[in-house]
Amino acid sequence: MNLLEVEGLEKSFGGVTAISDLHFEVPPGLVYSVIGPNGAGKTTLFNMLSGIYKPDEGRVRFDDHDLNGLLPHQVAQLGVSRTFQNLQLFFNMSVLDNVMVGCHLRSHSGPLSGALRLPNVRREEELTEHWGHEALEFCGLDDLIGREASALPYGALKRLEIARALASRPRLLMMDEPAAGLNDTETVELRALIRRICDAGITVLLVEHNMGLVMQVSDRILVLDYGSRLAEGSPEQIRSDPKVIEAYLGGEVQYAV
Amino acid sequence: MWDQILQFLFTGVTVGATYALVALGFAIIYNASDVVNFAQGEFVMMGAMCAVFLYSGSGLPLPVALLLAVALTIVLGMSFQRFAIARARGASVVSTIIITIGASIFLRGVALLLWGKDILAMPHFSGETPIQLGRATLLPQNLWVMGGTGVMVLAVHYFFHHTTLGKAVIACSCNRTAAHLVGINVGLMMLIAYGLSAFLGAMAGVLVTPITFTSYDAGVMLGLKGFSAAILGGMGNPMGAVAGGLLLGLIESMAAGLISSGYKDAIGFVVLLLVLFLRPSGLFGKASAERV
Amino acid sequence: MSQRKGFYLLTLLVVLLPLLFPDNYFVTVVAVSAGLNAILAVSLNLLMGYAGQISLGHAAFFGMGAYTSAILTTKFAWNPWPAMVAGMILTGTIAFFMARPVLKLKGHYLAMATLGFGIIINIILVQAVGLTGGPDGLGEIPTLSFFGWQVDTDLRWYIVIGSCMLLVVWLALNLINSRSGRALRALHGSEVAAEMMGIDTTATKTGVFVMAALIASLAGSLFAHQQSFVSPDSCDFFFSIELVTMVVLGGMASTYGAVFGAIVLTFLPELLVVFEDFEVMIFGAILMSMMIFLPQGMFVGMQNLLQRLTHRRSALPGEDPNEPA
Ligand SMILES: Nc1ncnc2c1ncn2[C@@H]1O[C@H](COP(=O)(O)OP(=O)(O)OP(=O)(O)O)[C@@H](O)[C@H]1O
Ligand SMILES: [Mg+2]
Repeated sequence: MNLLEVEGLEKSFGGVTAISDLHFEVPPGLVYSVIGPNGAGKTTLFNMLSGIYKPDEGRVRFDDHDLNGLLPHQVAQLGVSRTFQNLQLFFNMSVLDNVMVGCHLRSHSGPLSGALRLPNVRREEELTEHWGHEALEFCGLDDLIGREASALPYGALKRLEIARALASRPRLLMMDEPAAGLNDTETVELRALIRRICDAGITVLLVEHNMGLVMQVSDRILVLDYGSRLAEGSPEQIRSDPKVIEAYLGGEVQYAV
Repeated sequence: MWDQILQFLFTGVTVGATYALVALGFAIIYNASDVVNFAQGEFVMMGAMCAVFLYSGSGLPLPVALLLAVALTIVLGMSFQRFAIARARGASVVSTIIITIGASIFLRGVALLLWGKDILAMPHFSGETPIQLGRATLLPQNLWVMGGTGVMVLAVHYFFHHTTLGKAVIACSCNRTAAHLVGINVGLMMLIAYGLSAFLGAMAGVLVTPITFTSYDAGVMLGLKGFSAAILGGMGNPMGAVAGGLLLGLIESMAAGLISSGYKDAIGFVVLLLVLFLRPSGLFGKASAERV
Repeated sequence: MSQRKGFYLLTLLVVLLPLLFPDNYFVTVVAVSAGLNAILAVSLNLLMGYAGQISLGHAAFFGMGAYTSAILTTKFAWNPWPAMVAGMILTGTIAFFMARPVLKLKGHYLAMATLGFGIIINIILVQAVGLTGGPDGLGEIPTLSFFGWQVDTDLRWYIVIGSCMLLVVWLALNLINSRSGRALRALHGSEVAAEMMGIDTTATKTGVFVMAALIASLAGSLFAHQQSFVSPDSCDFFFSIELVTMVVLGGMASTYGAVFGAIVLTFLPELLVVFEDFEVMIFGAILMSMMIFLPQGMFVGMQNLLQRLTHRRSALPGEDPNEPA
């Protein structure tokens, strides 16, 4: 049984075809990577999977639910979360608040009881704070807990986005270029983090340009080129696929760690 | 019936031309500096009040008084940029809005202090003999307003599209840093934008005051209408602003004539709201989708 | 917790003022206006400061509450309490139906739409003479009474409005630090990310819009009974702008900032009266210079300054001092 199934997905913007007739399946428990040159349509794919864009054609199924026509918050309710290529953090909030927003779906109190600060709200607040700490700790951000998000260095911000997404306890976590802008040490830490996420039973859908990271961390890889599926397979298969090498600047694929 | 409609049309175009000039001023400042200038209406009032004062207060010949009034308002607009807006770089959008509101209150206060609360009149430029067109009539001053607006709109269009200076102003609005790096004097361009905006406001003021009269608070409603027109056309699109102004003037004049003069402003705003609900970026504005 | 300390301080201030300065015009009259304005500013701040949805038409909701109370009590001899509730129901309903199309708009378009809405309401109040009394307004509105306790002196009004203000402040503070409050702030920070975390942003925006409108309506009803007179001037475009100014002047996204801004902006004109003809001009100049020199708002600006002086790193919990430039 696949966790995610994509069938015949299409999307174009005006004259630009961003995704065309795309099929793939993601089994649960894997790190599944989507790679491809700039403009290949990876982010567009993520945006469709998460309900931000409506596909022109095709179907997305997540764990037996049809995602077509759902709004992002409805997709999130099914257990999908994501990070963004250009940081979409709540810079007007503290680090802890950011992850606590991530816990939104795990708590239930409404505005009225919140405004009255009823006893059950207080308990829920404490619990949420605890979950927030957990998520931050999981991503190695516990020492930054008291800070404002706007005061964090770039690398920490990238991790904060992951922590926020994890705080919602997703079953599928989509990460759009989590290593972009990170230095080598941070990238190594990220690799370990992705593995830990996967070990925690969360399926990871990863878009990434850093081939070293992709090859080391992925179980399967989907290669996009001009919005279509160019190849799909294990890292070994992809590494030796002539079509892939061709697409990546005539064969100059960097496998450095 | 049709004569009446023709009459409303004349009124509508005249009023609309004023709105168009104010809206154009809005658009220019918005494009240059991302500021929604709520003091735009006060430029109109200042131009008109100065002209009235210089003409009837110090007995200057009308053309000289008009020229001086417009020049004074330009200086005012530039000082506003230099001493208020430029100092508030980095302030948020709402903060800058409050600054421009402060400026508009300030200018109103100055006008109140200098000229009191009276409603003031100004002579028509070339007599008050009505021109008959069918059974509708037109004052020569209406023609001045329409013609003057037409000339200025064309001039502004030419300035931004066919002169180096105009293009430099546009460059600053697209990307300040890049403009600076290619050697454009950004500060100067901002002064020009605000000066131009004040010029358009003052011209609107002196052109229309013979018909509408003026007072220290005449700028408020005009400013609002100008903002509405700019939004109607699509914020940041100068020619859209002009079209929005004319349209708003026409709607109001038709509404006043055919429905109710008391509700004419309300009807104008209702139309504006409906347009926004259907086209969230105005009639000629580009829809801006944020990419994630 | 500083949040709570702030609240105690505010309560203390409200209690002490009339004890220290009984029968003082500034306490029993101006402070009552300041209290009403504070209620309005706090409610607008929920919408504008926290949720990031600018509104230049907040006075319209205030006016709806005020006029519903005025009309129902004077023309239909209703008891003030059900009239007040009717006002809130009417205002809430209108706000609810306005919210969807209006809050789809962004930035200046949103500002324009709310501004237009406010002006339309005001024009209706001026024009529907039969119902509203037109430009002359409506007078002889009865006062409130709590189980026989007539609110008929300045001091009693001070007590009523002071308590209401404290209540609204307390509710706002709680709300902002709750799950729903975080949702509000989150959609200000990034609408897509908020959605992706499971927040129904459309519903949240509608909710806060309606809530702000309800509070404004309540303030309007109180105003009508307190003044025993309402006119379109009391809820016109200028008042909407004034409310926005209070929020920005105090500092966006700070409940205490909104209260502070309301107090400053209510007292300032009273103090400037001594300048007579120069009053308007000086008021404008002060407004401009405050925003130029403290663009984050006075309260928040001073708070930040204090923090820098005392070397504290983190901000008051729940009071986010600034957004990224
Ligand atoms: N909202 C949009 N409006 C118009 N065109 C868009 C939009 N989003 C994406 N595109 C276009 O779709 C194509 C695919 O873009 P997309 O961002 O999905 O690529 P990508 O694979 O994520 O690239 P990168 O590696 O640079 O992030 C590009 O040509 C892009 O310009
Ligand atoms: Mg991308």
